[in-house]
Amino acid sequence: MLGYVRLELIRTMRDGGYVIFGIVMPVVMYLLFTNLGLAPGDRHDAAIYTMVSMAAYGALGSAFNNGTGIAEDRAAGWLRQLRLTPLAPAQVVAGKVLIGAVSVVPSIAAVLLSGVLVNHVTLAPQQWLAIVALLWAGTVPFSLLGLGNGYRLSGQTAAMANLATMLTLSIVGGLWVPVQNFPSWLKVIAEWTPSNNYAGLSWRIAFGDPPTIHQIVLLLGWMLVFAVYAVYGYRRAGRRA
Amino acid sequence: MIYSGPRHPPTFVFVTTNTSDAVSLTSATKHFGPVRAVDGLTLTIPRGQTVALLGPNGAGKSTTIAMLLGLLPPDSGHAALFGLEPEQAVRQGMVGAMPQEGGLIPRVTVRELLTFVAGTYSAPLPLDQVLTLARIEDLRDRRVDRLSGGQAQRVRFAMAVCGDPDLIVLDEPTAALDVAARREFWESMRGLASRGKTILFSTHYLDEADEHTDRVIVLGHGRVIADGTSAEIKQATALTTVSVTAEGECSWLATLPGVRHMEVKGTRVHLRSGDSDATVMALARAGAVRDLEVVPADLEDAFVALTTDAAPATDKESV
Ligand SMILES: Nc1ncnc2c1ncn2[C@@H]1O[C@H](COP(=O)(O)OP(=O)(O)O)[C@@H](O)[C@H]1O
Ligand SMILES: [Mg+2]
Repeated sequence: MLGYVRLELIRTMRDGGYVIFGIVMPVVMYLLFTNLGLAPGDRHDAAIYTMVSMAAYGALGSAFNNGTGIAEDRAAGWLRQLRLTPLAPAQVVAGKVLIGAVSVVPSIAAVLLSGVLVNHVTLAPQQWLAIVALLWAGTVPFSLLGLGNGYRLSGQTAAMANLATMLTLSIVGGLWVPVQNFPSWLKVIAEWTPSNNYAGLSWRIAFGDPPTIHQIVLLLGWMLVFAVYAVYGYRRAGRRA
Repeated sequence: MIYSGPRHPPTFVFVTTNTSDAVSLTSATKHFGPVRAVDGLTLTIPRGQTVALLGPNGAGKSTTIAMLLGLLPPDSGHAALFGLEPEQAVRQGMVGAMPQEGGLIPRVTVRELLTFVAGTYSAPLPLDQVLTLARIEDLRDRRVDRLSGGQAQRVRFAMAVCGDPDLIVLDEPTAALDVAARREFWESMRGLASRGKTILFSTHYLDEADEHTDRVIVLGHGRVIADGTSAEIKQATALTTVSVTAEGECSWLATLPGVRHMEVKGTRVHLRSGDSDATVMALARAGAVRDLEVVPADLEDAFVALTTDAAPATDKESV
């Protein structure tokens, strides 16, 4: 299974979509936004706030990109070829989840590093630790949603669906423009999105507050919904393959 | 060796699996909506045989292969590889397969891809040997998504054999290859067969079934139409043509041993014979050998004769 993970990571790193949407764009947008002063508070606060937003945005891009890969693999007959190797189906699925978990790391790391190196963000070590852990673990619901789309939809449709979902969740979830600047009706919607609560955990920690129960419960709830969806998609794909 | 498959699958099947058989399919049936793609198919392949699954498009070759590889569950009947469930045999690294299409992924090199596939098997062939066997030494560091059709086909073949499995299943391995590439491909195959591998491949190229196999299984409309060596199939189906020049009353020639059909064109008599040796001997005894010509059937004739008389299989037919 490690061989599978290695092969898929090589493919991911050579994937232009992954590098652009998962790494380059979040960093560029981060540097752009912080220098245009779109975030609330003073310059340092803005640099912290937007750093979390863009790391979350990049992680979402990578998580969904991984799901899109599944649809492409199925279209290419790769899932069938894998079923003809001694790898167990459960190893293939577990491998894909692991690949998703690894592929979000560069996205998060790239933005956090630009925060430190370019915008001189300073946080306490335990804050850094908590933010990295939450940004990383919090991608699970999005990975599941992306995989569900990948299993359920065909190649091009899955790519479009995942891109649209990723952008919608990023924008409505307040990752591009902070929710504070939203009209009140949109703000209400935003607070129910998984993306806003995902980034929200780290926003709060970055400004010295513990995450709220609302955030945790909502994110876990969404994770459950998306897990059911991914399993449903996988079952459907299995019947067709 | 030759038999026609049962038109209707038996209602009761006693499943016996012999572990010395590489492949065993028992009364396997698969429907796609109203189409009966595979219709009560039973076949057994002992270890070490090279077998061609011959049939026109839509005969059920790919569906048969998908069932025996465990990719597609049969509606009824049973598939076993080496006496195991197909999935188990695959998990144990006893099987390598090349589906009719697909299996290549973008953004990896040939070496990366084959190293991964080989690594899933417990005792794979060394990479260099695989590259040589598949004749892709020069493609080692090429990206898989930048290969020509023939090159891609060889890489797909390499994926099937790199784990050094006992059973190799290839679905139309030479489709879309030109003549030279096909010849090279069969040289690779001969190398494998000589190492004692069991090889099952499907084809609709008759010359391939003729030249490269121990045994030919002819499929038509999801049933086994004939099963034997290519010579046996020729003999049993298409008839050898024995021609002589004869004058006057010659209807007696139709009664000679082996003769099934007679055609007279002027002074030339064409006898279609199921036993050309006996026919020629009888002609000689009767002193009727003049301008003797014996033309054996080719597999093409056999194939056409075998597959044209079977009716299409649909559910409506059996009600
Ligand atoms: N997935 C499928 N859905 C519907 N019909 C199918 C499917 N696969 C095969 N068939 C039908 O089953 C029959 C046998 O197909 P196949 O096994 O692919 O034949 P071959 O490989 O000999 O060309 C054909 O009539 C084909 O149209
Ligand atoms: Mg086919």
